[in-house]
Amino acid sequence: MPQSRRELLKRGGAAAATLPLAGACATVPAARDYDVAKSLPVDKVVRTTCSPNCTGSCGQLAFVRDGVLVKIQQAADYPDAAYNPRGCMKGLSYLNQVYGPDRILTPLIRTGARGSGEFREATWDEALDRIAADMQRIGAAWGYDSIHVFGQVPGSGYIQKGANYRAAALLGLTHGTSFDFNGDLPMGMPITFGVQNAEHEAKDWANSRFLLLVGSNPVETRIPDVHFIFDAVAAGAKLVVVDPVFSPTASKADAWLQIAPGTDAALALALCEQILADGLADLEFMRTYTDASLLVRADNGKRLREKDLVAGGSDAVFVVWDEATGGPATVGTSRLGFADGVRPALVGTYDVPLASGGSVRATPAFTLVERELLAWTPDRAAQVTGVPAERIVSLARAFARTKPAAILMGGGSNHWYHGDLTGRAFGLLASLTGNVGRSGGGFSVYVGQYKVRVDTSPWWNPDGHKANVVPSIYFVRGKTATMNAAVPYPKNGWHGLIVTFANMFVQTMDTNELHRTLDGLDLVVVVDHQRTETVKWADVVLPATTWYEKTDLTATPLHPYLQLQQPAIDPVGQARSELAIWRGIMTRVAPDLAAKYFAMTEEDAIKAILAASGGPGGPTEGITLEQLKAGPVRLRVPDPDVAFVHQIQEKVPFPPQSLPAALTATAAFVPTRRIEFYKEDDGFLKLGETVPTYKEPFDDGANDPKRYPLRLLTPHSKWRIHSSYANNAWLAEIHGGRPEVFIHPDDAAARSIATGDLIELANTRGSVQAWAHVSDAQRPGAITLPEGWWPRQFAKGRGVNELTSSAVNPVHEIRFLGNMWAPSTGWKDCRCEVRKVAASA
Amino acid sequence: MPDKVSPVDALPPASRKYGALGARSDKPHWGMIVDQERCIGCWSCAVICKSENDVPLGAWWNRILTNGVALDQPRTERGQLAMEWLPLACQHCENAPCTKVCPVQATYHRSDGVVMMDNDRCIGCRYCMIACPYGVRTFNWGEPERPTTHETGMVVARPLGTVEKCTFCVQRLAEEQVPSCVWSCPAQARIFGDLNDPSSRVATLASSARVLLEDRGTRPSVMYLAPRRKQSI
Amino acid sequence: MSATTVPMTRVRGDTGWGLTVWIGFLIVVMAAGVAAFAYQFANGLEVTGLRNTMMWGNYILFFMFFVGLSAGGLIVASAGKLFGVAAFKPITRLAVVEATVAVMLAGIFIVPDLGRPERLLNLVLYANPTSPMVWDITIVVAYTVLSASYVWLYTREDLARRGSWLAFGTGTTAREHARDERMKAALAWVALPAAILLHSITAWIFGLQISRTFWYSAIMAPLFIASALVSGLSLVILLALLLRRLGRIDFEDRLVGFVGGLLAVFVVVEAFFVGSEFLTAAYPGVPEDLSPVTRLLFGPYAPLFWTEVLVGLAIPFAILVVRSWRARPALVAAAAILAVFGIFVHRLNLLLNGLSYVPISLPPGVGIGTPQEGVSFATYHWYVPTVVEWLIVLGVLAFGALLFTLAGMYLPLRERAATSSAGL
Ligand SMILES: Nc1nc2c(c(=O)[nH]1)N[C@H]1C(S)=C(S)[C@@H](COP(=O)(O)OP(=O)(O)OC[C@H]3O[C@@H](n4cnc5c(=O)[nH]c(N)nc54)[C@H](O)[C@@H]3O)O[C@H]1N2
Ligand SMILES: Nc1nc2c(c(=O)[nH]1)N[C@H]1C(S)=C(S)[C@@H](COP(=O)(O)OP(=O)(O)OC[C@H]3O[C@@H](n4cnc5c(=O)[nH]c(N)nc54)[C@H](O)[C@@H]3O)O[C@H]1N2
Ligand code: SF4
Ligand code: SF4
Ligand code: SF4
Ligand code: SF4
Ligand code: SF4
Ligand SMILES: [Mo]
Repeated sequence: MPQSRRELLKRGGAAAATLPLAGACATVPAARDYDVAKSLPVDKVVRTTCSPNCTGSCGQLAFVRDGVLVKIQQAADYPDAAYNPRGCMKGLSYLNQVYGPDRILTPLIRTGARGSGEFREATWDEALDRIAADMQRIGAAWGYDSIHVFGQVPGSGYIQKGANYRAAALLGLTHGTSFDFNGDLPMGMPITFGVQNAEHEAKDWANSRFLLLVGSNPVETRIPDVHFIFDAVAAGAKLVVVDPVFSPTASKADAWLQIAPGTDAALALALCEQILADGLADLEFMRTYTDASLLVRADNGKRLREKDLVAGGSDAVFVVWDEATGGPATVGTSRLGFADGVRPALVGTYDVPLASGGSVRATPAFTLVERELLAWTPDRAAQVTGVPAERIVSLARAFARTKPAAILMGGGSNHWYHGDLTGRAFGLLASLTGNVGRSGGGFSVYVGQYKVRVDTSPWWNPDGHKANVVPSIYFVRGKTATMNAAVPYPKNGWHGLIVTFANMFVQTMDTNELHRTLDGLDLVVVVDHQRTETVKWADVVLPATTWYEKTDLTATPLHPYLQLQQPAIDPVGQARSELAIWRGIMTRVAPDLAAKYFAMTEEDAIKAILAASGGPGGPTEGITLEQLKAGPVRLRVPDPDVAFVHQIQEKVPFPPQSLPAALTATAAFVPTRRIEFYKEDDGFLKLGETVPTYKEPFDDGANDPKRYPLRLLTPHSKWRIHSSYANNAWLAEIHGGRPEVFIHPDDAAARSIATGDLIELANTRGSVQAWAHVSDAQRPGAITLPEGWWPRQFAKGRGVNELTSSAVNPVHEIRFLGNMWAPSTGWKDCRCEVRKVAASA
Repeated sequence: MPDKVSPVDALPPASRKYGALGARSDKPHWGMIVDQERCIGCWSCAVICKSENDVPLGAWWNRILTNGVALDQPRTERGQLAMEWLPLACQHCENAPCTKVCPVQATYHRSDGVVMMDNDRCIGCRYCMIACPYGVRTFNWGEPERPTTHETGMVVARPLGTVEKCTFCVQRLAEEQVPSCVWSCPAQARIFGDLNDPSSRVATLASSARVLLEDRGTRPSVMYLAPRRKQSI
Repeated sequence: MSATTVPMTRVRGDTGWGLTVWIGFLIVVMAAGVAAFAYQFANGLEVTGLRNTMMWGNYILFFMFFVGLSAGGLIVASAGKLFGVAAFKPITRLAVVEATVAVMLAGIFIVPDLGRPERLLNLVLYANPTSPMVWDITIVVAYTVLSASYVWLYTREDLARRGSWLAFGTGTTAREHARDERMKAALAWVALPAAILLHSITAWIFGLQISRTFWYSAIMAPLFIASALVSGLSLVILLALLLRRLGRIDFEDRLVGFVGGLLAVFVVVEAFFVGSEFLTAAYPGVPEDLSPVTRLLFGPYAPLFWTEVLVGLAIPFAILVVRSWRARPALVAAAAILAVFGIFVHRLNLLLNGLSYVPISLPPGVGIGTPQEGVSFATYHWYVPTVVEWLIVLGVLAFGALLFTLAGMYLPLRERAATSSAGL
């Protein structure tokens, strides 16, 4: 019996079960080819430019079907193939901004209290009449200059944003600043190089052999450009990232230096000191292009000038100690370098006879710089920065020995009260190693889209009228005691605000201070296409068009292409372009001016600008509107576009012009017309900042480290452009749509905080509630909450900028030139304490 | 309304040239290579995929995994922090588990190596999702929801109750254009082409590339270039 | 003798009233199930607790479970015929009815799982030979037919005797009786392999998937067969005891003892497979934290595994090995209930551990497939069936109960007295 059972199982069961299946499964089904699906047809494809406050300035194609956008994709049509495709996930998802639930479709007039968010829809006439009437009332009572126009950086739209300047110029409104206000203006640049800022085009990163990134996170903030760094690395270049946080950029680096926040200057000084100690410095470069050899008087700290030596001598001619003759020699400012035969001393102290009789002890600036550097031994720097001394030494040697070597500095290092000192120190490092003005080298600070690459004056300054420019920081917190006398602060203070192209009530430092100013205002107008926090505080809201619905002219620091925004679809809802909006306002406030100056179309304006800078050697020489309509056009600049290349190669005096300012205006920043590492202005003397040095983060004074032990870093998020795209549905699916505060396990444990917990960040200025994310990537003692989240996304508070500081560094007030020498914000210079509010649900 | 044109014909000449498929044989086997050294985890490829193919909210044909402890958060390896990204979509396996298990052959191979879906035949049993070792298939659980007010993209949306996934943008291949994610990768980390043509870039790079879950024997048409070894300074 | 002359009548001692209530109740539940299904059909599977991160749930769970339950009928019937075990005779008819109903339900459970049930016909039009699912559905259908014909064969003579139309005109002559016996024997030869196939292929739906480390194992088929034997036989015992109480069939307690013993053996066999699978997976000690073992023992579903082992295997076995205990129907019934429950938990375990972890589990994971607050990706899915899913499941169960009730009412489940007391 058992016998037969086993038999049965064998015969009947197993075999029968497996064979057919096994046989069949050995093969995959045969191929099929019946479908030749093609893309659905469209009405048209329009070439335009993505232009948030981003610096990307990426050409995009708008695919239009039945009159609506159905896809946005990079144009990838740059003649220079290396730039293709420019763009990122944000630009590609702009559909959701154009048609999303937050899109403003009609003008709105406030019905509830300010900030209540209660509005009623209004007609354009109603809204514009209301605005015009209020403006006239304010103008009559307080003067038009008491109305502050805040329009953000011009680079992303010379025409529409230019319309702000044009109107302000004609009506005498005050136009705020942006580059300085954004904390992007790297004050080290005007101080050292006499320019607003100057950088290499991104493409040139690929030519570098050594890339030193400080406070810059291009993997997240230069998405279209960062691949140039990988190109360099693939060709053997080394990549070093200096960042308190293990940023995504750090993850790509050969070495990551986890520096203590706000101490970059100390690192730079130590690197310089080590390079000098090792005898690796390029002293010839220092002599030829910088003020290193120019003598400084020991008695008053001012530079020795020809007029000191001979009666009637010039104030603009400086003095060196000529080792050839063993006596003083004069140097003019018409050309860099020195007359043949002159061998200027860099070190030593010399007695120089004065015209007035007697003599004065004088020292080459270099010696004064060196004296400061001597203090910066690797060990001391290690104490300050937390970067091990031996790593500082090896970095110094590697950096000095590899040429060309580039320094890329970003907001992380620049957004500090003493960011200017950091910039000056790294400028020194680049010069000491002779990297300035070289392809693949240079000291570039990549920050906002500030750059005016063409002469916009015919559009911005009609018949020479100029807007009354006042740094917006003075709008937020009023005058400072140290405010430069040249600032045209309105005599009756502030009574109106017109915000356009900006989410001011989220992106402004010390938000609660801003709200105090707001309380005194009779009129708040906000022009935007998204229902932002700023919109919430407006009296009148005007619906703007997006860059898929209007015409504009754009450029960026990252690449020297001039590009158009061209309308692909009709304005959504009742949206209007800024030019149209200003035309509407002007027609009501000043009909005659409107008729004379606001009849122009965008294209007229563009033509005028092209003509203005189209002269021989001009940036737009030979560039036509038709070319621009077809695609991006490279401006007439060197290829690769390298900062200071003329100065270094042709010994043309510093600085190159910073548009829209006149050359003379910025040249005044560096009277020697050389790279200046010694500053003689009283302000610098008084504050002991004549030469590059290091000073502790400033907020430590305002927010006592004992009560507020944590540094609050607010870098830029990969998922947003500031606050833009924070409401983008596709991106929210990825990042979750709620603010996370990254905190080191030690700091978290000390406060019994776990990932997901609701926590409160607070300091003397304000507080905000968000959710904790415990992260090994953080540096103990420093937490990160990326800027740009909307208040409605926080559990409580007006956003992270309730905590940031509006302190003004008097050095930034020594001179005044809007967006070029003006108070630059220290976003990252901020302390706070954190406490757990509720455990994660 | 103007009469409609192919979005490819409507491209500016320079753009069209940029997107053109490179060297290809007359019997191509399409393949893709993703360079993890260049990938910056930006999700541009994932977002354009959603846009190109009108993929509804909640569903992703293409996504970017972080080789770390959380999204964009590094892992600790031998005491050091480290992080890379792994963009993941259908691997277009030559020996595809999904096509084997589909009871109605609604997911199948094309002779050019593309693994396709026939959403008019799919009965929605989701067996293919279970069989796929890469978890790249997504089911239409409910009526598609979009953030926009209208249907977008370059293909018609798939019906409720069926499975969808990356198609290698066949609608674009049909007009000799690279897939959208390849076009839109700002880091130039995605390379697409004909594995059968030895002169194509994918074919030349393939030798140094690796595939995911090789042990499963799926023979993917998508390959990866591993991150470089870091230098010392 | 009396029983044989009973025409199509109600259960003795059962008030028509109670029965009507019972049937009414079943119909109400079925209606609810149908409504739920209609709702799901209209809104899509979005109304279930399933998502891309856990794509099979309740429906497939019950499918697996009922395939297993259907095994009982066959063991009893074919064992009777092939291995000449006469003891089963009194419960054979009941057993084959149980098998038929169970496998039928299994088939039905596939339908609500489909996103496109109206395209069911594609399974025939475009059947894919390499798909275990195609083979499984085929065998389920075949097995349903097989079991149904079994039922008929076993009951047709009595039906004919009562002149029921269900006899389809066949008579009660000795020749026909002899033919029945021959056919029963022949059928047994087909039925056994068919059953093995049924459970194996069902197992292979899971066991052949290299994508799911937790399933990808050669032991899957044997394990399914073993567990099917356990659950199938258990259910038969329970139903038999129930019907005996209702006075619809009768058999001596020693049968219960005998079946209990058999069940003990099956339980051991299953325990053996579970154990050896576990050992094979555990022995190499792969550290990888998502390895099946770690998942079983420490994963969020670990309690299920222990329930399966203790409640489903250990306890029933403990009860059944003791000869004196297994002689007591109450205890055998208890053991059977636990065993069936254990198998259910085993299937649940299999499903949850196999699916709720996404294959390449790096963050942020897989897009879950529907919009939601916060992140739309997940690496892990805690599956909770929705009301809709439960209503549909209950509806199908009610349908099964109804079939069985009707069978009880209209089919002669009692063996002819003559043969009812065959010894062991
Ligand atoms: N995705 C995206 N891109 C953008 C923008 C955006 O909002 N989103 N904004 C654009 C604009 S306008 C700007 S200005 C730029 C700004 O972009 P970046 O120049 O990259 O500046 P941040 O993002 O502010 O900070 C960069 C890094 O600096 C680090 N950091 C913080 N404090 C310190 C410090 O004290 N020392 C050092 N060495 N590092 C520090 C931070 O951890 C961060 O990783 O990005 C532009 N690009
Ligand atoms: N804590 C902290 N705060 C910071 C920073 C930081 O690092 N930390 N960074 C600072 C820096 S560097 C910068 S550059 C600023 C940026 O500050 P903002 O320039 O204010 O940044 P966005 O949030 O992008 O605001 C742009 C607004 O313009 C709107 N907009 C877009 N297109 C148009 C259009 O065509 N017309 C009109 N009228 N509006 C349009 C958008 O909807 C959006 O609301 O933020 C600063 N704030
Ligand atoms: S958001 Fe910035 S980087 Fe992204 S596409 Fe637009 S301009 Fe380019
Ligand atoms: S990746 Fe998955 S879906 Fe794509 S072919 Fe392979 S198995 Fe099929
Ligand atoms: S879900 Fe559709 S494609 Fe996938 S296996 Fe089932 S029928 Fe085939
Ligand atoms: S090939 Fe097309 S479908 Fe596939 S991931 Fe890329 S964009 Fe999406
Ligand atoms: S687009 Fe390119 S870089 Fe960005 S995630 Fe995709 S593959 Fe990586
Ligand atoms: Mo900026």
